[in-house]
Amino acid sequence: MRTRHDMTDPVRKEQASPSRSRSVLRAMIWATVPVLLLVQLLASAGVEVSSFWSQIRQLDARMTRVAESRAELIAEPLWKMRYDQVRSVLNEIMHDETIAAAAVYDDTGIAIARVVARPADQTVAEVSRPINYRNGNIAVQAGRIAIAYSYANVYADTGSQLMLMTVVGLLATFATVVALRISADIFIGKPLAAIMSAIQRSKQDGRAYPADIKSSNEFGQLARAFNSMQHTTTGALDRLGHMASHDPLTGLPNRRSLSERLATLSNDARSADSLIAFCFIDLDDFKGINDTFGHDSGDKFLVHISERLREAVGPQDWVARLGGDEFVVIRPEVGNAAAAQAFAGLLLNAISQPIRLHDKQVVPRASIGLAVRRAGDPELSHLPALADIALYHAKTKAPGTVAVLDEALQRDYRRCRDLELAIPAGFAERQFEVWYQSLVDLESQSVVGLEALIRWRHPEHGVIGPGEFLPLIERSGSNARLTRYVLTDACGALQRLAFAGRPDIRIAINLPPSELADHSLAAELSETCARFGVSATMLELEITEGSLINNIASASETLHRLRRLGATIALDDFGTGYSSLAHLRRFPLDKVKIDKAFISEIPGSEEDKAIVGVIASLAGTLGLTLVAEGIERAEQAQAMREMGVRLGQGFLYHRPQPLAALLQWLAEQAAQDSRVLADSPSIAPEIAA
Amino acid sequence: MKVILRILLTASIVFGVLTPIGCVVAADARRLNIVFVNPGKTGEVFWDMVAQSMQAAGRRLDANVEVLTSERNYRTMQELGLGVVARTDKPDFLILSNEESAAVPILQAAEAAGVKTLLLSNTLIGDDAARLGAPRQILKTWLGDITADLRNAGVRMADALIQAARAEKWQSPDGKIHILGIGGDEITPASIARNNGLQLAVAAAPDVVVDRMLFANWTQSEAEQVTANYLSWATRKGIRPAGIWAGNDPMALGAIKAASAAGLAPGRDIQVVGLNWSEDALRAVGADRLLMTDGGHFLLGGWSIVLLRDYADGCDFAAASPHVEVQAAAITRANLAAVGDLIKTRAFDRIDFTRFRAKAGRCGRYDFSIDELISSLAPVQGTAD
Repeated sequence: MRTRHDMTDPVRKEQASPSRSRSVLRAMIWATVPVLLLVQLLASAGVEVSSFWSQIRQLDARMTRVAESRAELIAEPLWKMRYDQVRSVLNEIMHDETIAAAAVYDDTGIAIARVVARPADQTVAEVSRPINYRNGNIAVQAGRIAIAYSYANVYADTGSQLMLMTVVGLLATFATVVALRISADIFIGKPLAAIMSAIQRSKQDGRAYPADIKSSNEFGQLARAFNSMQHTTTGALDRLGHMASHDPLTGLPNRRSLSERLATLSNDARSADSLIAFCFIDLDDFKGINDTFGHDSGDKFLVHISERLREAVGPQDWVARLGGDEFVVIRPEVGNAAAAQAFAGLLLNAISQPIRLHDKQVVPRASIGLAVRRAGDPELSHLPALADIALYHAKTKAPGTVAVLDEALQRDYRRCRDLELAIPAGFAERQFEVWYQSLVDLESQSVVGLEALIRWRHPEHGVIGPGEFLPLIERSGSNARLTRYVLTDACGALQRLAFAGRPDIRIAINLPPSELADHSLAAELSETCARFGVSATMLELEITEGSLINNIASASETLHRLRRLGATIALDDFGTGYSSLAHLRRFPLDKVKIDKAFISEIPGSEEDKAIVGVIASLAGTLGLTLVAEGIERAEQAQAMREMGVRLGQGFLYHRPQPLAALLQWLAEQAAQDSRVLADSPSIAPEIAA
Repeated sequence: MKVILRILLTASIVFGVLTPIGCVVAADARRLNIVFVNPGKTGEVFWDMVAQSMQAAGRRLDANVEVLTSERNYRTMQELGLGVVARTDKPDFLILSNEESAAVPILQAAEAAGVKTLLLSNTLIGDDAARLGAPRQILKTWLGDITADLRNAGVRMADALIQAARAEKWQSPDGKIHILGIGGDEITPASIARNNGLQLAVAAAPDVVVDRMLFANWTQSEAEQVTANYLSWATRKGIRPAGIWAGNDPMALGAIKAASAAGLAPGRDIQVVGLNWSEDALRAVGADRLLMTDGGHFLLGGWSIVLLRDYADGCDFAAASPHVEVQAAAITRANLAAVGDLIKTRAFDRIDFTRFRAKAGRCGRYDFSIDELISSLAPVQGTAD
């Protein structure tokens, strides 16, 4: 499918195209009209110039003839000295408008007669001819006749002819332009419009339409070429569309097709109340197949699975591979939730038939998340996400089974999504609160430190524990921000503790794994401590084993930096993860906190007592301070003390509480201590959020 | 009575015709009726004098001469002539002048009517002459013609000019004597004849050149104009004009006027000759401004009556030739005194025309010379001044 941008660009081009075709015509006119005009004018000028010279020659010849005929007429009166007759003959020729003046000279060169018709202000030519008189006896030259004549008429004629030819030329040019315009519209504009219309229709619905041109001229050929190109394009588009919407390995529709399918689901349904079953299938341990048999076999395995799914479903059902080992099967109409679940079970059964890979029998296993929704449900597009919730549930709770999305799962999903969306507001409105839980000397019962614990006071959901929202914080990339939030609060708390007369109490902060890779943490910690005027030695940084595993080198470096600042490093939740003894040796640790899982069964569980005892002995040997978490009963404290655990933490002493409450308790404790020195531990009041 | 007279007349004619040559003309010959269609205008000197001499001769030779004037209109002339021919009382003779060849229809009508005709001064020319042949051949009643030898007159005039110029040594720088010819026109026989005379005379004189032969329509003013033009041209050409030959007296007088206007003294610086014996010309001759005026051919009128009288009396001029050519004559200062008065007063009755009749046996032989004329003149009657 084209993107939105792709769609808009051609439209803009189409809108621009008519003006472009006009400009082509204009360009043609601009290219031809001046040439046409020039040729017309040059031709007119050429014709006129030749006509002009011809007229000049004719006029010259005519004047010569006039002079000669007059000479003949004048010869006798001139010879016979009848000068009055000479004059009258000469006067006759003055009717000729072109003649400006004429004169007759006798054989002595004297002008016998001279007539001037008009001042010779214009170009004047002159013709002179001898006047020969002859009779039976003599033949003599009696004199000369000279005629001066003007070319003015020729000039005027030529001028008006030139003007006429120019006007005719302009009219001819105009007619040509009109003809050009009309023929361009017929022979160019129409075929172009037909092709443009085909292109426009093709743009509108993505199909390649042929241009309807029947003529056999160049545009006909162009149209045929265009139509054959359209044909080719249609095939290519179809192939491209198929490739874009199908998985090349299995030939099944892909994730892109899923979106389209979802969009059409409700339309295809017979009624809004029809139930749609959406099965999200994830193969269990596909990675193991790949690792064991290689990727080619993995691919083959996937093809087998896809074939089985295809065989298992009905003609109305729809199977897709979203990628990797994820498949989706949609049954557009099921009778009820139970039928949907049975369908999912059928699929699971089909998948679970053994497959031979490299002569070895493999039994595929898969988990299915099933979501059933009404066709009229406005959130039909969320079906993959809903089914994914169910799938996640199945994967985590019961792999190899079908998990049906129920209200509870959906509620969790919604809450989770709400919280994730609310994180930025949580920071902005300082909804995150840092509570503190005391770390107590098991011998003296005195508070020696506090652990900073984050809480989210959500305006709708109330106080939310870190177990729920920290994964969301991590997913949204806000770990660093939260850590600095906590660090700042802890430094403030240290300051207030000092004011309250307890500068000896240290505060522990939990560092998420990602922070150990952050080289700037040490510098920021140092800067924050300086800002609050507290020593970094009063800070304790708690890390988990998991964070050490993922990035050993950078974690080690960060821890060394922090330690050089004076902060102490504690390994949290020891015993539940890898519990690597190598870690205890490799990293610069000061303290190890035993997970409360080992404490809760004490003193009843001898095994736990043994484990804690070993850990305590190991810590003692390595010079590490040991902390017991989750001490809820006095006998647990007693057992810890007996096993040599010096420090403890738990509800027996204090629940996590806001700093103000803790400060108040400390103040009261101090006052009590001043009155009676009591050894018995007090129960911290529960603070309900 | 008339019948008898007719019979008598016819008999006399027949008799006369048949009378052997040498018969004495009957002294008691009957009176002749002669009509003359005058082509000229009333007041036109030459033709007036022709008619007057004709009438004077009629009085001497017992002929009644009726003169009809056509006022220089050939249509009028034809109407007059045809009218005469159509008369019931036809004349004995009809005298015509073939000016502009207008007389031919009249001749033919007269032939049809049996009226005898004589052409005076202008005879048939060109096609007419070829077509109608000699007198009395095709047109039996066309008796003949009497003309003046004007070519010879032209020669005489030119010779007079040449002699005078040679005597005065009026040669131009090129050594030649340059003269100007002024003709009346180029088409009428009378004009062509005298112009030919000029050409002949000059052809015989290698030291003479006719610069131009100009034509002035017989009129003084036009002659004056062309002469002025010529003199101006000659000056520009460096020619010394020696003489001007004019085809008639008015043109000669125009030339004189132009020469005077050009600062030349006619008679002293340049010589001019004319033709016609006109009064003004004679005065100019007397004043030494005109070298000579040739002519006297107005007497053709009188001579024609002499011919017809003789013919009527049986002495046919055709015995010599039906074409009677009369020599013209020049009047110079030398003979001016003798004839000048005759012309001035037009006292043609002084001429004894009977003296000029053919002698017996010599029909057609006449002496119409100026000397004979002078000797024929009766002394002036009355007081002579």
